[in-house]
Amino acid sequence: MSTAVRGRGAQHTLLRFLARRAVTSIILLFGIVLVTFSLTVIVPGDPVRAALGEGASSNPATVAAFREKYGLDQPVWIRFFRYVGNLLHGDLGTSMTTGRPISADLAKAVPATAEIALYAVIVSFAVAVVLGTLAAYRRGKVTDEVIRVVTLVGLSVPTFWMAILTYQLFFMQLHWVSGSGRISPTLTPPPTVTGFYTIDYMLNGDSVGFFDAVGHLALPVLVLSLFTIATLTRFVRTSVLEVLDMDYARAARAKGLSGRRVVVGYVLRGAALPILTLVGIAFGSLLSGTVLVEAVFAWPGLGTYAYNASKNLDLLAVTGVGLIVGVIYLVINLVVDVLYGVLDPRVRLS
Amino acid sequence: MNLIVPEKLAPRRRRALLPRAWRSPLAVAGTVVALGWIVVAVLAPWIAPHDPLAQDLPRLAPPSADAIMGTDGTGRDVFSRLVYGAQTTIPLALMLVVCAMIIGTVVGALAGYLGGWVDEVLMRVTDMVMAFPTVILAMVIAASLGPSILNAVIAGIIVAWPPYARITRSLVLGLRTQNYVIAGRLLGSSPLRSLLRDVLPNIAGPVLVLASLDIGTAILLLSGLSFLGLGAQPPTAEWGTMIASAVQNTSAWWLGLFPGLAILTVVMAFNFIGDSLRDVLDPLAAREREAESPTAVSAAAAEVAP
Amino acid sequence: MARSYRHAVAALAVVTALTLAGCSGGNSASTSGSSSAGGTVVVDTAFSLETADPGRNYVPTGNMVLHAIYDTLLTFQGTDSTTPQPDLATMEQNADATEFTFTITDGRTFSDGSPVTADDVVFSLQRVAGITDSKANFLMTGITVTKVDDKTVKLTTATPSLQLPAIVTNPSLSILNSKVVKEHGGTTDDSDAAKSWLDANSAGSGPYTLQSLDLTQQVVMVKNDKYDGADKAGYDKVVVRNVSQSSTQLTNLQGGDSNVAVDLSGDQVKSLGSGFTVDSAASAETLFLLINQDKNVGGVTATPAFAEAVRYALDYDKLLELTGSGSVAATGVIPPMFPGANTTGVTQDLAKSKAALAASGYNGEEVKLQFPNDTPVGGVEFTPLAERVQEQLKAAGINVTLAPAPFATEVQPYVKAQEAFSLWFWGPDYADSSSFLPFGPGQKVGLRAGWTADAAPDIAAMVTSATDATSVDARNSAFRDFAQAMQESGPFVPLVVPGINLASSDTVAGLEYNVTWTLDLRSLHAK
Repeated sequence: MSTAVRGRGAQHTLLRFLARRAVTSIILLFGIVLVTFSLTVIVPGDPVRAALGEGASSNPATVAAFREKYGLDQPVWIRFFRYVGNLLHGDLGTSMTTGRPISADLAKAVPATAEIALYAVIVSFAVAVVLGTLAAYRRGKVTDEVIRVVTLVGLSVPTFWMAILTYQLFFMQLHWVSGSGRISPTLTPPPTVTGFYTIDYMLNGDSVGFFDAVGHLALPVLVLSLFTIATLTRFVRTSVLEVLDMDYARAARAKGLSGRRVVVGYVLRGAALPILTLVGIAFGSLLSGTVLVEAVFAWPGLGTYAYNASKNLDLLAVTGVGLIVGVIYLVINLVVDVLYGVLDPRVRLS
Repeated sequence: MNLIVPEKLAPRRRRALLPRAWRSPLAVAGTVVALGWIVVAVLAPWIAPHDPLAQDLPRLAPPSADAIMGTDGTGRDVFSRLVYGAQTTIPLALMLVVCAMIIGTVVGALAGYLGGWVDEVLMRVTDMVMAFPTVILAMVIAASLGPSILNAVIAGIIVAWPPYARITRSLVLGLRTQNYVIAGRLLGSSPLRSLLRDVLPNIAGPVLVLASLDIGTAILLLSGLSFLGLGAQPPTAEWGTMIASAVQNTSAWWLGLFPGLAILTVVMAFNFIGDSLRDVLDPLAAREREAESPTAVSAAAAEVAP
Repeated sequence: MARSYRHAVAALAVVTALTLAGCSGGNSASTSGSSSAGGTVVVDTAFSLETADPGRNYVPTGNMVLHAIYDTLLTFQGTDSTTPQPDLATMEQNADATEFTFTITDGRTFSDGSPVTADDVVFSLQRVAGITDSKANFLMTGITVTKVDDKTVKLTTATPSLQLPAIVTNPSLSILNSKVVKEHGGTTDDSDAAKSWLDANSAGSGPYTLQSLDLTQQVVMVKNDKYDGADKAGYDKVVVRNVSQSSTQLTNLQGGDSNVAVDLSGDQVKSLGSGFTVDSAASAETLFLLINQDKNVGGVTATPAFAEAVRYALDYDKLLELTGSGSVAATGVIPPMFPGANTTGVTQDLAKSKAALAASGYNGEEVKLQFPNDTPVGGVEFTPLAERVQEQLKAAGINVTLAPAPFATEVQPYVKAQEAFSLWFWGPDYADSSSFLPFGPGQKVGLRAGWTADAAPDIAAMVTSATDATSVDARNSAFRDFAQAMQESGPFVPLVVPGINLASSDTVAGLEYNVTWTLDLRSLHAK
């Protein structure tokens, strides 16, 4: 499959395509903010009492001061517009449960989850490509069937149950991996560059910290990868089969190219686009799975933050989470679409 | 994903499909297990040796003759609760999927058939809902509506309908241009009749595949929400809540193992069924089946084997 | 094919190698950090932490941390929660219990070396009173602080306040280094801006200073080298980690990742083998049932007869079974450790219960039992307790459905007296029997059950005599009458007093439970 001829015309189309996608994304983002904000408004509880607790909430002066501080005495419309206005300045508001700026909270929580998701995607991708290609080449034989059953099982395992089981087995019984949290309590976290402890430790030249962080990542990544491997493998297999069946693959072999050349040259490149889309979707589903996994491994990530925020009726924090998650998903989709657009000219022109 | 339904998939072939699905041992196993669980759910009051709410057994007792799966923290029989748990989760999961399917296909059909700005608006809404990770959205909805199994189901329906809309829309778009559909309209059938007679039967396949695979996802979502405390409320016996209690009592291995296995087997059963259905109803997979052993594809595969 | 295959396999191998290496690396790092003389101690607890600013703190984890960093005028020693002892100051009170004179102990200094003076005391206390949106603000209600001289401060109250000594032991009323705090924006009114500085630094006189604070993860404290008080620091470093699940605390303790676990339940400490020390003590919290007496809220159940029916229907021993070691049955609204508590509680009497139920006019209607399902108290989860109450009441002819909700949602109707039948907990604002007078008719908790002073004027009178008492004996006798009367009638059915189970590895000694700060970090030391 040869890529389109690059000329000024093609680049112009690409830019127009990007612009269109960017505009759609912004509209979608606004929609997400609107929806999440509305959700928090229909919440039946009074967040002030929830945050102040029993004792303080019976003191009217404390309650009034609190409401004023968080702007809860204004009507909904004003609150929404104030929120959007602040958003444009990068201010997501202050969390009622932690008392800190939500953007600061999220700046810590998002990388924690992203780190798991990143390694899970890498591991899943690697394993899925291997298993899927293997299944495709051994099509119809025992290997294929076994892999098929394995993927179906992987799709059926409840994540939270797997998390508990592996934790009990690998940590409590076998002591093969480290305990809960991102690093052991005796170590200090690395200076923040990316928020990813593994990368930051490496940049800081701290090998003890690096291996400790990896040890803590092992179980969450393993558990989250299971489901993703199951979905990806099947898709890789189908994509590879599809390409193998294509005329150009058969033609290549008819021309006498060796099997390996066929796969590298045509199969994986042909399958790359659909696989890429699925990786994007996998990232999104990983963000979902983390809520359940973080609870078991005491991981201070986005899932835990979202759970505590919705439980504590911390409205601004919930909206903030919705926003960030929406942004991440949109960015991933945008990147995938752009790559599609770059690699497949048919998409650009549609 | 562009699933253009080939014209070959006309009535003549459909009749042959059903028996073919059940030729796979996986499908058979899946059907047996799924039916087994449905029987358990229906016959729960007769199968369970104890009242799932009665707290008269010794607390946290390991499996024994009296309680074959042990007892939980309040002295209730785990086996009885497991059996009644089927009664809680399975019907609700089925209901969730059916509702999501109906809503999704209606939205997708409207978008595909009517086109224009209706299509744009509906698809943007679909995208917006899909842009959210399922569990987080379901969590926020369940938390705002108040924790209850019914609200968890509502949250589940809200996150589950978009894929049906998407797939229905692309199928409808493809079918709109098919000759027999156009012919039908030319011959005078109303849009509704055309939709019902020519379009819907051909959508049914992929949609049903999605639905059957979705049942497993629905069960996982409902038990996940219950695990977080946002689904089934006490003292209702539900597998997710039972696993949650296992988190607090790590030495009582029987609390988490059996409900987890229950979820695993039910979901696996439905996934096996769905997967086999996909093989026969999904035209892409159907093409694979046609190109069975002595054809170019597997010959090529054998050649290039590493 | 080969290239991509090799790449994939190679990538997989690298990741696996790293993971396995990380496993062993992680393990050695964690075990090497276990406490040795003068080393680090790691404490796991479920955080309720919001700030390290004493003036704004009023949550248990905050109390635990602040107690190690700051000193208060008076304090409790060890496990005693009834008699305040001198800490930064000695105290004298007048006969009316309206004037309390504190004389600052000689030679006490802050962590920067500057001496503790009356100005610091006045500033710290006035600051708590002046910040109106502080949760701790109510502690200073009715108390006026005046400086007498550089070493003496007088606290005055309009009405007799025999509980004032207990109030000042609260870490929210810690004495701050006023010069330093003022430098960073501290004032004694709402313009105070010292919170952010105090969340990262400390200005106290205690055995530890604050090194770092991450509200969602951990607090790190280091030994205060300039400490000159009586509680020498047992470790160089104290790390208090946020581990919200007690099961994770258990596995961390068992695995050597932590040295102390604070929130384990009775069942969980039972599964700890040898090599661990457990300190179980009854807490000062009471779990109770509330039967609203307001007809508009409770309907048919809003009668004293229905409350009596519930009171005698329950099998308290079986309820206690659920709560594990250290817990005791509640004998009344005053927990056993405080003066005035009843010696025996209510015993089940199904006949009496049925009679009362018939008299109440209840006819099998469905009654909703509301409770918070995400706040275990002393390791005791509400849900199993509520389930058992439901079962027992069913046997007595009362049809109950459970209606749990997260604390954040449930606290609203509770505080607004809108719950007809609920399960809640009450802990003392400060370690004194007067903290339980709010259960009385017309008082804070009483009103949440729709119980006005007119409904039980004799009990209301007991509350007044306890509040106005000027002698300790008269006061204790009033408390006894109050506890007795509450047990015989009223809309509350106290169930259990949960136990606190502090657990540590055998290398750590000094586990002591205290009502106000849960675990006394000052008493921890290596064995």
